[in-house]
Amino acid sequence: MKNKAKQKQIAIKILATIFSFLIFGLLWEMLVRFSDVGRVMPGPLETLQSFFEHFTEKYSAYTLPEHVWRSLRRVLTGYFFAAIAAIALGILMASYKTIDAIVSPLFNMVRPIPPVAWIPLAILWFGINDGSKYFLIFWASFLSMVQNVYAGTKSADPKLIGAAKMLGANDGHIFLTIVLPSAVPYIFSGLQLGINSAWAMAIGSEMIRSTDGVGWLIIRGMDNNNLLQELVGILAVGIVGFALASVLRGVEAKLCRWNKRGT
Amino acid sequence: MSMEQERDLTKRQMIVCDHVSKTFYTKNTETKVIADLNITANENEFLVLFGPGQCGKTTALNVMAGLETATSGTVTVGNEIVTKPGPERGFVYQTTALFPWYTVMKNVEYGPRARGMSKKERRKKAQYYIDLVGLGGFENSFPNQLSGGMQQRVGIARAYCNEPAVLFMDEPFGHLDAQTRYLMQEEIIRIWEKERRTVVFVTNNIEEAVYLADRVIVLTNCPTRVKKEFIIDLPRPRNYTDDKFLNLRAEIQDVVDKTL
Repeated sequence: MKNKAKQKQIAIKILATIFSFLIFGLLWEMLVRFSDVGRVMPGPLETLQSFFEHFTEKYSAYTLPEHVWRSLRRVLTGYFFAAIAAIALGILMASYKTIDAIVSPLFNMVRPIPPVAWIPLAILWFGINDGSKYFLIFWASFLSMVQNVYAGTKSADPKLIGAAKMLGANDGHIFLTIVLPSAVPYIFSGLQLGINSAWAMAIGSEMIRSTDGVGWLIIRGMDNNNLLQELVGILAVGIVGFALASVLRGVEAKLCRWNKRGT
Repeated sequence: MSMEQERDLTKRQMIVCDHVSKTFYTKNTETKVIADLNITANENEFLVLFGPGQCGKTTALNVMAGLETATSGTVTVGNEIVTKPGPERGFVYQTTALFPWYTVMKNVEYGPRARGMSKKERRKKAQYYIDLVGLGGFENSFPNQLSGGMQQRVGIARAYCNEPAVLFMDEPFGHLDAQTRYLMQEEIIRIWEKERRTVVFVTNNIEEAVYLADRVIVLTNCPTRVKKEFIIDLPRPRNYTDDKFLNLRAEIQDVVDKTL
């Protein structure tokens, strides 16, 4: 009984998704066909066709998947180091009052500055090519992750820590078995925020100066007045961003089976 | 006086609260919660601290367990003065304090694991206590998959698994429905008769106090002190509707009414 109800729910969800895409596509198509918009803007079918054609056809030197891969590589490298740094700093700040007192004022000053504001300096420091991009991606995702790791590390229930102490656990064991597991759901929502920022920053930095990547694709489309290329780029950005977030959610669900967020 | 009690009197004192007081200080206020508490619990005795809500019973228990420090006075468990939490004392919490990210097995074996017992040994021990509390088959369930009563069983097994000399229980059945509560009262006595320990059990339910205790200590309102002490000399298993049971209950009720 329960299984059937669940299946039904999933079926409804899938149908609703298809329905919403159909409505959106239909409105878009109608707008293109029956208004002046059509003179400059391609419709959804044309966009999809071009999207799939460029799996083999090249934009400049690379096909669409190759451009995506180039952006992705930048994102994953910057993001990987940002995640490690953010988790380390967040835990240190939450665990040691001295570190917190020293780092917090500086961090709170820097945090509200949008990462894009650092683009000129990043280029000055790390060069116009991939160096500055790695840095910007690192920085953008790092900033959005630290806070969550910090909050997560602080979130451990004092009652559970008391219970662990009553059972004879020392501080190190409490950190590993109580503090860290309590922080995991927070860390994961930080990682989600981080991957979004990293992806956004990758596209942004590629728009500034690049010869490949999806950001380049979109900005070159604009330069050449090629709206179709822009739309294909945007579609690719959306799909990849969605995929990245889904992968993270999947990992979290596996790791946090005990948590309601995870199930 | 029965033979059994006579033997009880010769028993070793396991817990001694000596002129314990506790005051909580905040910025502008100080709240005296425990006035002057003198309590002893004998080895393997089931002692119930009974008092009205908010009277400071839980604080008293926390101080005895080492989760809070006394403002003055000392608590001795065994031969040691209590200053901080430690595995010689087990604690069962009011609401579940299980580790939600661990399965039943991992919760129960937590203490032995923290103290470095080998996996094989601690698994065996944990399995024994899981079976003892009647949760065999649920070893791999997570706490949020269990009912309230089952969660408290895990809490009891976890406290027992460390093999502490004394067990503190802070209204462990307070959040259960009436039916489950009766069942758990029977269960805790069954477990205790099998694995004797000194138990200090806090409750605000008279019936529960009389059903469980060797001795009931009635506490006054906040700041609390000992009001009166009752020895419950009834054979187990006890019957809630037995005349003697009801008489004792009324007697205690009488004292409590005067406290309020």
